[in-house]
Amino acid sequence: MTITAPECLLRLYEEHPDLEDYQGGAPRWCAGCGDNAILAAVQRLCRDEALRPEKTAFISGIGCSSRFPHYMKTYGFHGIHGRALPVAEGVRMARPDLHVFVSTGDGDCCSIGAGHWIHAVRYNMNMTVFLHDNHVYGLTKKQASPTSPRGLRTNTTPRGAYLEALNPLTVTLGVQNASFVAQAVDWIPEILYSIVSAAFHHKGFSFVRILQRCPKFLPDLFDPWLHDPQKVLVLTHDNGLQLSPGLAKVHKNRREHDPADLDRAREIASGADPIPVGILYRNPGVPCYEDLRRSGKLRTGAFVRAGLEAELDKFTIWPQGHA
Amino acid sequence: MHSELQAQLAFHLTGVWSAGRPEASDALELRPALLAAYRNLSRLRYDFPLVLARNAPHGGAVQSLSGLMDRAIEDAAPRDGEGERIRGHVLRMEQAIRALVAAGGGGSLATLWDTAAGRLESSGEDLLADSLSRARAALKADGEVLDCGKAMPARLFEHAWRTVQESKARRFREDIDRLILRLSDILAAGLALSEEGRSPERLRAEVGAAHREAFDFEAMSRLLAGSLPKGTLPESRRRRIASLVSVLESQRFFPAPGERAGGVEPYAFVFESCAAALRAFRERRPAMIALAQAVAVARLEVENEYVESKHDAFFEEFGENVLGPKGVTLFPDYLVRIGAADMQAAGHAGLMEALGAGLPLKVLAQTDDILDESPVRDGQLAFGARSRQLAAMAIALSEVYVLQSSASNLFQLRERILRGLEYPGPALFSVFSGAGGACGELAPYLVAAAAMESRAFPAFSYDPSAGEDWASRFSLENNPRADLDWPVHAIAYEDDEHQRISEELAFTLVDFVGCDRRYAKHFATIPRAMWNERMIAVPEYLVRETKGPPEKVPCLPLVGRDGTLHRAIVGEKLIREARRCREAWRSLQELAGIHNSHAERLLARERKAWEEQRTAHAAAALGPQPAAEAPAPAAAPGVPAQAEPEEERPRDEPYIETPRCTSCNECTQINDKMFVYDSNKQATIANPEAGTYRQLVEAAESCQVSIIHPGRPRNPAEPGLDELIKRAEPFL
Repeated sequence: MTITAPECLLRLYEEHPDLEDYQGGAPRWCAGCGDNAILAAVQRLCRDEALRPEKTAFISGIGCSSRFPHYMKTYGFHGIHGRALPVAEGVRMARPDLHVFVSTGDGDCCSIGAGHWIHAVRYNMNMTVFLHDNHVYGLTKKQASPTSPRGLRTNTTPRGAYLEALNPLTVTLGVQNASFVAQAVDWIPEILYSIVSAAFHHKGFSFVRILQRCPKFLPDLFDPWLHDPQKVLVLTHDNGLQLSPGLAKVHKNRREHDPADLDRAREIASGADPIPVGILYRNPGVPCYEDLRRSGKLRTGAFVRAGLEAELDKFTIWPQGHA
Repeated sequence: MHSELQAQLAFHLTGVWSAGRPEASDALELRPALLAAYRNLSRLRYDFPLVLARNAPHGGAVQSLSGLMDRAIEDAAPRDGEGERIRGHVLRMEQAIRALVAAGGGGSLATLWDTAAGRLESSGEDLLADSLSRARAALKADGEVLDCGKAMPARLFEHAWRTVQESKARRFREDIDRLILRLSDILAAGLALSEEGRSPERLRAEVGAAHREAFDFEAMSRLLAGSLPKGTLPESRRRRIASLVSVLESQRFFPAPGERAGGVEPYAFVFESCAAALRAFRERRPAMIALAQAVAVARLEVENEYVESKHDAFFEEFGENVLGPKGVTLFPDYLVRIGAADMQAAGHAGLMEALGAGLPLKVLAQTDDILDESPVRDGQLAFGARSRQLAAMAIALSEVYVLQSSASNLFQLRERILRGLEYPGPALFSVFSGAGGACGELAPYLVAAAAMESRAFPAFSYDPSAGEDWASRFSLENNPRADLDWPVHAIAYEDDEHQRISEELAFTLVDFVGCDRRYAKHFATIPRAMWNERMIAVPEYLVRETKGPPEKVPCLPLVGRDGTLHRAIVGEKLIREARRCREAWRSLQELAGIHNSHAERLLARERKAWEEQRTAHAAAALGPQPAAEAPAPAAAPGVPAQAEPEEERPRDEPYIETPRCTSCNECTQINDKMFVYDSNKQATIANPEAGTYRQLVEAAESCQVSIIHPGRPRNPAEPGLDELIKRAEPFL
C-alpha cells in the first residue's frame, strides 16, 4: 500500500548522510591493514545508499576482521567464534526489515564456522557476507588458517603449512543454492566498492571474498600481485563489473565473464594466479529461505503467548492426564 | 420483368406484397440457417453455465462448468477402459446439470450435482455412483452456477468485483494491522517506562499470581522509579499515537474477515444507481481522508520518523491532498449496476461526470434489448444506442477502462473484466444480456452471441493502463474474424437430389434481426418453386452498389423446426440498417488499426515513392555512368585517434593518486595534518607545508600501493636532503 503524494513530499525532507554518520570510532587495526579498505568501502556504500543506521546490522564472529561492527555506527553484534552466520540468520528471520551484513575472517568462516558457512550458502538468506581473507590468524599472532598457502611458516606450522590452501570460492560455488559469489582485493578500492555495492543489491546470500594484506604477520605475501596489475585478472561483463576508463588503463588483464555461467565461474574460481577479481556468479532466481518460511502472521502478543504456551505445555506434567 | 420478380422487388422495397402475402417466417418457426445447429443448447458443451468459484485463487474466480468437468476427468479418470467409463459418466452428469440449470434450477454446484446424481443413479446403472464419487472428489471448485440470462451479468460482475476487493482489502488490512500492532507496542513500551507503568498496582498485575505474595511491590516501585530513563514517551506523541490507533481500529472501509470492525457497521459498496454511489462517496470522503492521513502519520511514527516541528504543519496543511487520485484507489471501489435503457438524461450526465472525475466507480451498464426502435427516428434500429453511447463517451474521457461485450462472451473476457476491476480508476462495462424476450424460444446465450457475431453489439476493450497509444489500449480481438466486415461460417445441407452441399455464409445483422419476432414482417419466405437466380445472399447484396432500380433481391436462408431450408426476401429497411451497422463496425476497426485509413494512405504514399525511386534508379542504371565520387579522406593507418591528453602533474609538487588509496592509515599516522581523508575516506595531501619532506618520503615508502609521490623538497634547509631525494626518486 502506498500513499504516493505524501510520500513524495516527505521525501523532500529526507536527510542525506555523510561518511561520518557511519563511522563508529577509530579502528584499532594496524596501519596498512586491509580491513581499513573494506571498512572505507562499506561506509561509502552505507552513505551512498543512505542506509538508516537503525535499519542496518553488522554481525561478526571472532578475529581481527570481526571487530568490524565496532567501527560502524549502526546496530552490530560481535558474536562468538565461527557463529557470525547463524546469528545473522536469526537477525534476518526476526527482523526482515534490517539490512544485514556479516564480517568474518578466513579462520572464523572456513575453519570453526565451516559447517555454518555451507548451510548459510544453501539457505540463501538475504545478507551481504564479507570474507576478510588474509590467509592467517592475526588476532592470536600468526597461526595457519585454512587459506594459508602451502609452505607458509607460522607459529603452528614452523616448517611451513603442509596442505594446499582451501579455496573459499570453489567451496561456495559448489554448494546448492549459491546465488552470489564474488572476489575482490583490498588494494583496488574502486573494484572493491563496485563489488560490495553489487553484493548489497543482490537479493540473497551475497558472498564476497576479499583478499587482504596483513602488514604485521604477512607483510610481503601479496606483494607480487600488489605491484603487477597483470597478475590480477579482472572479470568484466555488462551484467557484472565495469571498469572506469582510468582503471581500465592500468588493468589490461581482463576477461569477459557472464556471471550467469556457473561452470565458467567454477573454472575461473579455481585459479589463484592471476587472482580473479569480479563477480563470478549471480543468480537472482534462487529463493530466499526467509521468504519460503515467512508465515505472514502478525506477531501479536496473543500469538506469541499462544506459541509459548504450546511450547511449554510439551513439558508440563498433567496430574489428571492431558485432555 | 417477370411478375414474380416484380412482386419480390416490390416487397423488398416497400414491405408490401402486391399479390397475396406468403407465409411469415415466424409462423413457420424459422430461424437463420447458421443457427440451425443450436436448437437444444443443453446437449452442447459450451462456456455456460458458469461457476462462480468461492475462495478461488486470482484468475480462477469464474470458471466454466465444462472446464471444471474436464479437469475433474483429467484427474480422476485414468487413461484406460475404466477411465473411459468415468469420462462417459461425468459427461452425462455435466449434461444433467446443464439441463437442470436451463430449466431454471439454481444453487451451488454441489447442490446441483447432488440433485443430478440422484436422478442419474436412479437408473441403477453399474458403477455410475463410483464414477461420480471419484469425479466429485476431483472437482477443484464450488460456487454458484449461473446460466446465461438476464441476471447473469450482474451476478458475475458482483462476484468478480468481490474477488478483487477482497484481495485489496486483505493487503490493506495487513498493513493496518501491522501498523496498529507496532503503534500499540510503542504505547506499551512508553507505559512500561512511565511512572504509571511502575506503580505498585501495575507491577503487581504484571507478576503472575503464583508468586505475587513473594514481592513487596511498594519497594519494587520505589526502586524502579529511581531508575526511570530520561526521554520516555512524550505526552504529545502518546496522544497522537493513541488517536492514530483509534482511527485505524474504527475504520469502516475494510472490515476484518468474519467480524465487524470495532463493532461498527462496515460500509456497503454495491449500488443500483450512480447518484446513490456518488452520494455515499461524498459522505465518506472525510473518513477516507482521516484514514489516509492516519496511515501516513502511522508509517512515520512506527519508523520513529515523525518530527513534530516538521510534520505537524505539513499534515495540517495537507488535508484534502493527502488522499490524491492514487490514494483514492487504495480504498474499495463502488460497484454500480444500472440498466442502460432505464437511464434518464440526468443520470447519464451524472455518470459521465463521475467517470470523468476519476471517481472509483465500476459501472455495469446492462442492456437487454438492442433491436428496439430508435426513440427519435421512426423505423431506425437503436442497436443499444444508450449503452453504445456510454461506452463511446467513456472512451473519449481517455482515463476510463471500458469494456463492451455480449453476455455470451463474458467468460472469454474474464481476464479483461478482472483487469478492469483492478484498474486504478473508473471503469465502465457495457453488456448486452440477450434476454430481451423478443426472440421466441431462442436462448439468451444465442441471442447475445448472434448480436456479437452480427456486429450489432461488438466486443471491445479500452485499457488506459496498457500503454500510451490506441494500438496498446484498444482491442477488438474477441470478435470473430475482426478483420472482416462479417464473420464467415460453413454451412452444409442436402439439396433436392440428396447431395451434400457445403458453402460459406457470412453472418450479418440481417441474420440477427431474423431471430427477432418483431421484425418478421420484413421477411417474406418464398416457396421453393419461386426461387430464382436473382435472389442473392444478403452479404453479396450488401456489397453491391446499385444506382438504378435494383435488379436483384436479397434473401436470407432460414431453417424450419424440421430442418428444411427456406429462403426469405429481406426488406430494404433491414438492408439499410445492415449497412449502417457495417459502417459503425468499420469505424471500430479503424480505431483498432484494422484497415486504418491513415495507415493505408501512408502506405500507398510510401509505396508510390518507393516505386518512383526504383524507376529512377533503373533509368540511371541504363544512362551514362556518373564520375566516381572522390573517396572520403580515410584516417591514416597506424595513427590512433588523438587520445585525451593525460593530466601532466609537475614532478616537483607532491600528490596522491587518491582513487587508488586503500584507506589503510599508514600515511595519516605519519602526519595527519599533511595527509587527510576526503569524503570517500581516501587520502589526499591537504597541506604539503604541514610537515617535512622526510615525512612525505616516508609516507611514500610505507604506502603499500605506492600511490604517494613526494615531489621535490620545498625547504632547502631541511637536514639530510640528499639522502631523501635519492629515496624519493622511485616515487616521482
